[in-house]
Amino acid sequence: MSEETAHKTRSDMIVCENVDKWFGDFQALKGVTATIAEQEVVVVLGPSGSGKSTWIRCINRLEAHQKGTIVVDGVELTNDLRNIEKIRSEVGMVFQQFNLFPHLTVLDNVTLAPKWVRKMPKTEAENKAKDLLEMVGIPEQAAKYPGQLSGGQQQRVAIARALAMEPRIMLFDEPTSALDPEMIKEVLDVMRDLALGGMTMMVVTHEMGFAKEVADRVIFMESGEIVEEGTPEHFFTNPTEDRTKLFLSQIL
Amino acid sequence: MSETPPQNYHHQKPPFYRDAVVVKWLFQLGALALVVFSLWFLASQARDNLAARDISTGFDFLSVDPGINLSEGIDTRPATGGRALWVGMVNTIRLATAGILAATILGLVVGLARLSNNWVVNKLGSVFVETLRNIPLLVQIILYGAILANLGDLSYDSGWDNWVIWSNKGLSIPRVFIADGFYQWAIFMLIGSIVARWAYKSRQRQHDETGRDTYPWLGSLGVLGVFAVIGWFIHPIFGWVGGIFGAVEDGISKIPEEALQAVISIIAILLAGNWIRNFLRSRRTPGGSAQLTDDDKFRVIFSGISAGLVIVVVYVVWPGLSSWIINSSSDLFGVLEDKFGNGRSGGPFGADRPEVIKPGKFEKYGPSGLTMSIGFAAVFFGVVFYTAAFIAEIVRGGILAVPKGQIEAANSLGMKRSAALRTVILPQALRVMMPPLGNQYLNLTKNTSLAIAVGFSDLVQVGQTVGNQTGKNLSVFAIWMLFYLACSLTISVVVNFFNVRLRIVER
Repeated sequence: MSEETAHKTRSDMIVCENVDKWFGDFQALKGVTATIAEQEVVVVLGPSGSGKSTWIRCINRLEAHQKGTIVVDGVELTNDLRNIEKIRSEVGMVFQQFNLFPHLTVLDNVTLAPKWVRKMPKTEAENKAKDLLEMVGIPEQAAKYPGQLSGGQQQRVAIARALAMEPRIMLFDEPTSALDPEMIKEVLDVMRDLALGGMTMMVVTHEMGFAKEVADRVIFMESGEIVEEGTPEHFFTNPTEDRTKLFLSQIL
Repeated sequence: MSETPPQNYHHQKPPFYRDAVVVKWLFQLGALALVVFSLWFLASQARDNLAARDISTGFDFLSVDPGINLSEGIDTRPATGGRALWVGMVNTIRLATAGILAATILGLVVGLARLSNNWVVNKLGSVFVETLRNIPLLVQIILYGAILANLGDLSYDSGWDNWVIWSNKGLSIPRVFIADGFYQWAIFMLIGSIVARWAYKSRQRQHDETGRDTYPWLGSLGVLGVFAVIGWFIHPIFGWVGGIFGAVEDGISKIPEEALQAVISIIAILLAGNWIRNFLRSRRTPGGSAQLTDDDKFRVIFSGISAGLVIVVVYVVWPGLSSWIINSSSDLFGVLEDKFGNGRSGGPFGADRPEVIKPGKFEKYGPSGLTMSIGFAAVFFGVVFYTAAFIAEIVRGGILAVPKGQIEAANSLGMKRSAALRTVILPQALRVMMPPLGNQYLNLTKNTSLAIAVGFSDLVQVGQTVGNQTGKNLSVFAIWMLFYLACSLTISVVVNFFNVRLRIVER
């Protein structure tokens, strides 16, 4: 209970109210309503096609929602390009397929956005990038190209690249799904450190261990709706909804 | 303890037709023999047939007056066959260069239009591509020629006040030419470009240190502009440079022939020796001595033979080579002394306005302007439109080939569209676009030979006329092939240079 009251004193970072999203005739999100507080770590679970990726891609406008409101750090997402750019520069995103820039070195990948968006001096950006690469555990790879790294290393570079913009929120879209099993841990370790450091995080993943250990709250989605949410203890040991029970019985 | 294998187990020699090494060499020799025989057969057939039909070959006609007039070019009444072909080559190169530039720009615009979300722009792009790439180029060239022939007759008042004149005889614009002061001004520009480079670097450094936009390109262009203007007025201060070239000319003409022959031979031997040493060193295994494949041995032997060949050429085949080098380079410096010499106070450039003259019954363009005939325009528009349609598709394909995730990643970092296009999308799209773009440049250059359809004096048209006049069609054919081969190889080298630079490093 003390945990929950603590959340209420913090400001709301992401507020979604009745968010609807269609792809043609198919409704991907149905009235999604949720609030994520500062420094909260939320893990979104659900079967594939349940709309979890679509939801977090709506939060930095990689997909445009059609109904409802999304407010990120006090700025509402509309068609206003200035709002979109402001939100994107405060929300970092890590993709399933890494999406590193293959024609740039690791260092250039990390410094590109600070230089072009924040107008940061080159030396400052490079020093910062080296610190971030140190943090994710691959300082010696700075001069290499993404194609020369392993999957786990590439994903850690992608995390460093997002952090270089000093975001207040980090979105993770299945960050470990494209990785070989032995590389998953190195990425999850970096994410755990980030969560312990107080970053506001929204994570779409299938890593139940990570959800149990790190998440403040678990949200379960199916068919574009939020079915159930709660603390990991509640969610994994004592779920109330039948659909949640079915999902857990299939994966655990 | 297991039984040891028979002592001669590893020494059983297979019969020669099963020995991989022998078989490999036999096939190599067989292939070589086949090629040599084919060439000999073709050459002897050609020789016999040419003799039987009394067709003469040879290149004497290059220095004989062909007695022809050309419709346009750097020289419309060439004194020799070689000069006539050279005029044709310059016309072809002009056409191809202008065509490549225009087709690239137009293709880029149309390709981007086809990716546009604007419905009208998008459809216009589609219509352009689908129409122009599906009509044969020859048809287009003849069509444009026919349309342009409907322009008005040339008279003294067609065009804008003798700045630009157009008619059914073509378009004439002011001709900019290099004037007396150009070479001294060029020294100014050389210094200017060094300073501009410094300015570029210092502005770049400023950007790196502060993060502000410092526009290094604008800065260095500004520096260059200032040098160009100042140099225009005070370039005669470099008049003394001519004297240096004069001194070099005197020095070179005093070099004895034998000394140059010896120096060339020594350099050839040293280069070959150095190359072989480095090569053997690069093939050295950690264990010690070099492991050489047949190919490697061939390379070593070949580099030795090349050095020997150079010496044979210098002393035996062409003993006059060294004196030719001495004479021509001292001549070159003599020309430079003249060009850079004192007393050249005119501007670096001049311009002559076009004019209309009436030597006989009809008006024609005078020699002062830069005139493009209807034929040039027809071929130019033909190859540009036709090639631009293909380039547009290459541009579209290149940009679409960049994975969507790349754009999403740039977006998610808050980068503006323009910044993402410049730093993320274009570098990756260019990598895909470069090889097919090179193909289109090759096609365009070779397609200019269709100029013969509208009577534009390109190399093919001139060559055919020269061939008809002199009867040396076979020799003209050889020159055609060598010229287009040289053009294509030049383009390939340039395109490959960019290919290598754009390559993405992988493990």
